[in-house]
Amino acid sequence: MALVYFRGIKTSHLRFPLITPFPRRSGVPFCVMRSLDTQTRTPTDNPKGQVKADTSDQPKTLERNTSGFETIIGIETHVQLSTLTKAFCGCPYTYGSQPNTTVCPICMGLPGTLPVLNSKVISFAVKLGLALNCKLSMRSKFDRKQYFYPDLPKGYQISQFDIPIATGGFIDLDLPLEFGGGHRRFGITRVHMEEDAGKLLHSETGSHSQLDLNRAGVPLLEIVSEPDMRSGVEAAEYAAEIQRLVRYLGVSNGNMQEGSLRCDVNVSVRPIGQSKFGTKVEIKNMNSFSAMNRAIDFEISRQVNLHNQGQADQIVQETRLWEEGSQRTITMRKKEGLADYRYFPEPDLPEVVLTDDFVDSILSSLPELPEMKRRRYEGMGLSMQDVLFIANDVNDAEFFDAAVEKGADVKMAANWIMGDIAAYLKNEKLSINEIKLTPQELAALIASIKGGTISGKMGKEVLFELISKGGTVKSIIEKNDMVQIVDPSKIEALVDKVLAENPKQLEQFRGGKTKLQGFFAGQVMKVSKGKANPMLLNKILIEKLNAKS
Amino acid sequence: MGGGAVTALISRATAPVKLFFGPRQTRRAFRCSALQPPDVPRLAETARISLSPKEVEEFAPKIRQVIDWFGQLQAVDLENIEPSLRADNEVGVDPRQDQPVEFENREAMLAAVPSYEDPYIKLPKVLNKE
Repeated sequence: MALVYFRGIKTSHLRFPLITPFPRRSGVPFCVMRSLDTQTRTPTDNPKGQVKADTSDQPKTLERNTSGFETIIGIETHVQLSTLTKAFCGCPYTYGSQPNTTVCPICMGLPGTLPVLNSKVISFAVKLGLALNCKLSMRSKFDRKQYFYPDLPKGYQISQFDIPIATGGFIDLDLPLEFGGGHRRFGITRVHMEEDAGKLLHSETGSHSQLDLNRAGVPLLEIVSEPDMRSGVEAAEYAAEIQRLVRYLGVSNGNMQEGSLRCDVNVSVRPIGQSKFGTKVEIKNMNSFSAMNRAIDFEISRQVNLHNQGQADQIVQETRLWEEGSQRTITMRKKEGLADYRYFPEPDLPEVVLTDDFVDSILSSLPELPEMKRRRYEGMGLSMQDVLFIANDVNDAEFFDAAVEKGADVKMAANWIMGDIAAYLKNEKLSINEIKLTPQELAALIASIKGGTISGKMGKEVLFELISKGGTVKSIIEKNDMVQIVDPSKIEALVDKVLAENPKQLEQFRGGKTKLQGFFAGQVMKVSKGKANPMLLNKILIEKLNAKS
Repeated sequence: MGGGAVTALISRATAPVKLFFGPRQTRRAFRCSALQPPDVPRLAETARISLSPKEVEEFAPKIRQVIDWFGQLQAVDLENIEPSLRADNEVGVDPRQDQPVEFENREAMLAAVPSYEDPYIKLPKVLNKE
């Protein structure tokens, strides 16, 4: 049997929180008392038209005031790790492979097989634990969580129970301005390693279910938040920040549609002033951040409504599914007492031992994280809107950083990335590192515009050529004869020419029809083939137009 | 019910009665508390094993025996012993590198699946977990 053994065993401080009255379900219930006063918060009643009405009138009636109530939201997030192989066997995993092609006796749970832990799972877990400001367990272990369901043929899931690899951290984020803005810090209860289950398909009409075990045994990190969120927006932004974080770290692609990032949200409401927590309801099946936002706000309204109608007893502990079609949550299953998972230590796997050297090497290899980037961009003078946009995508952020390093003006670089470049990328469904434009050339382009070599308008043309064909700003300007005309005498000559060619309009202008200035400016620009410096052009034009009046 | 099932039942019997891994109790607490007799019908249910009343009667003393044996272990004084998660932590083997290895005998493995309808494993209709 293999032992996970990272450059020597660390024997000091052995933490043993076996006494923790941890719930049987790996999630954290809301009985964890916590002060609710941490930061200034947006009001909990935040429908903002998030609940869209459909044909049935129920969602509409649910769109009502939730004041007088406090919402408590906690989130369990499963992040699928982007390792090449599964957690406990060498099977490759690629999303979308033919069903049951990447399987072996270990992940199919055949008798007599032994799991061998993928070392990458540990380094990814440590990475994420550190990035979430957690305390690491220098010694942790795997446990068996028994459950009988065909998507996990062994009859148990290898998970971590009482000693998760990381505990007690937090995550910082900035709410988008359209949701009122503001900075938030949400607690992280724990991060633990576990394996994913296979995929079951249930046909509507069929008499049987179909099983694909490709995903069985794929490594996951489960992140359990403290119940710190108060609205759909906060919850969705928490999930978005987790996605940003795992992408910055390179531990997962964070793709919600493919199920690489899955959020189970626990929602409860209680009248303000009541010390007892309300009954919590779990919501699943949200495959986008906006769906999360809407599902939670719907669920809050539903529960508050029941409270207001004196039917609080109808809020039962259950799992509800978000139905995208009807924009509401529906009962999936009611909890019949807590399931007995009968956790016990996985006897086939050695304990996971981390050394200080190993942790230090990962700590020193951590990239700049989204929160650090946002604070740095803020310090560079970018507006919060720009900060959030650029830091949202790790590729955009790296591109921006590289362009600024090459001397690009900070604000102009941000504007180009957020404007024409972003529009192009969105249109072509590409990422900024998949186009031919380099940060170096964006910096050169900005310098050419700032230095007056080319106009902003010509800059756009250059940009699109850089994006589609590549090359350098210098060569494109020369090839297309784009150098801006900044010589006043040359512009003066062009103005004279245009005035001479349009005597009728000139007369009208001098007769008081001053709007014609735009016409003249356009004509001059046209004869200059768009190369006249607009500021100089206007200055000279005004002088000439008004000179002989 | 064969011998294998008995072993399975006994090994599964240990967890629910929280012999050594119970999350809610400390080791110390075990030493003071008397071990509960096994609730065999419930154990069988959690292990998804059907037992006739006669079998329940038969297994109860056997399981009780095993529990008593753990009871003896619980009595050992461990007051000043640092807890150990594993007995084998002196063995060092390199952890597995993240390099894919395809299992070569996949066809034979899938051929052994009792009900297979290419490319899926066919199951009775299941909808609700737990």
